Amino acid sequence: MNFLQITQQYGDAMLGGLFVTLKLSFIVWASGIVIGSALGALGASFREIVGGPSKVVSVILAGMPALVFLFWMHYPLQGYLQIVINPFITGALTLSIINIFMVADLVRGAITDFPRQYIDAAKVSGMSHSDIFVRIQVPLLMRQIIPGLLLIQITVFQMTIFASMISVDEIFRVAQRVNSIIYKPVEIYTLLALFFIAVCVPLNLFAHWLRVRFTRDYSER
Amino acid sequence: MLKGENIRKSYGDVEILHGIDINIQPGTITTIIGPSGSGKSTLLRSLALLDPPTSGTVTIDDLTMTFPHDTPIPTELVWPRLTVVFQQLFLWPHLTLRQNAVLPLRSRDIDSPEDRVDQIIKDFGINGLADRFPNEVSLGQRQLGAIVRALALEPRYLLLDEITSALDVEYVAMILERLKTLREQGVALLLISHLIEFARHSGDQIVFLDGGTLVEQGTPAILDNPQSGRLERFLGLVLEAR
Repeated sequence: MNFLQITQQYGDAMLGGLFVTLKLSFIVWASGIVIGSALGALGASFREIVGGPSKVVSVILAGMPALVFLFWMHYPLQGYLQIVINPFITGALTLSIINIFMVADLVRGAITDFPRQYIDAAKVSGMSHSDIFVRIQVPLLMRQIIPGLLLIQITVFQMTIFASMISVDEIFRVAQRVNSIIYKPVEIYTLLALFFIAVCVPLNLFAHWLRVRFTRDYSER
Repeated sequence: MLKGENIRKSYGDVEILHGIDINIQPGTITTIIGPSGSGKSTLLRSLALLDPPTSGTVTIDDLTMTFPHDTPIPTELVWPRLTVVFQQLFLWPHLTLRQNAVLPLRSRDIDSPEDRVDQIIKDFGINGLADRFPNEVSLGQRQLGAIVRALALEPRYLLLDEITSALDVEYVAMILERLKTLREQGVALLLISHLIEFARHSGDQIVFLDGGTLVEQGTPAILDNPQSGRLERFLGLVLEAR
């Protein structure tokens, strides 16, 4: 059985897995970017109430393998709470939490480290708070944040395959199933690798393009 | 008139300025000199209300604020009537030199901001640099860019912190001329400079700070005939360092 035959025979199953992977990714991306950015901005404004605790959670999550966290959310936590949650929701929730705190860390750091002097210069130039935010802070912060943000999204996209370990029928699990039937690991895992490359490489290139286009070298002579 | 009375500034338990009185009249140039750490930049930032004084009074025309100040400072009445060129310049790095100067004007809905900025750029003879980003020009050219940004605001009070530190003699002379023109137009200028000759030729009033205290002030003649031992020692050290 070659690539073409595998695609023809198991294409629907693979597409189903692909759809689950993309659905999972979009949920994780959207929640991470929206909630993570908001949490990061709040953390920079309210350092003691929000920033500190958020940083502590980030450090704990960074120190725990994503798979361990996923298993912990799926087995002990649900056992302790005596609830059963759909594995897809558990996977989406777990990866979203990871993404939210990684993004929050990135955003909080960028805002906290933003050179106040640029704001001072804008203030004494008579610019309003809203203009300073829109025309000075946002453009400079975006340039700093976006490339890192995209790299985080690529990482969490690759993490979605962990969801297969708690029985989420995403593309990796479907590939494993197909392989258990026809045993063509080279073809199947090559197809899988090509899929991830097809998504991640353009994203990586986009991040690189953004860095080149917008994140000029600001260092001064 | 820009006036500071009994200006004290502390960071934590450390008092940096110990009760300074300073009076800057329209159409004059006041130059602050003093050793590193004497509180020159702190005084400038306090008068500009960027780091308001811990105690004391700042008067800008008809606006008098006594510190500590309970209510928010009405900075919209102060900036950019009073503006600052910082020692580190703080040009916004994502904008070209021209855009750096145009943006604040556009933000204030001023008509034809480009024309106003282009005229100053032309006066300074830096047309060729105007569309470059701050990191694409030399430090001296960045200093000119920062000065253009401030001048485009047409301030009544212009506070300049060590603006000549990276400029060559030709540019220093050009800026001195420009400052004198502003003085004639009634602008009050407060300069911090480590260049004694620059202070001598630019200043109507020289203020010598040391250890957060105003030690001596007067006309540039005090540079030749200092009344205090501290100023005499300082001038001696500057002379030795040449």
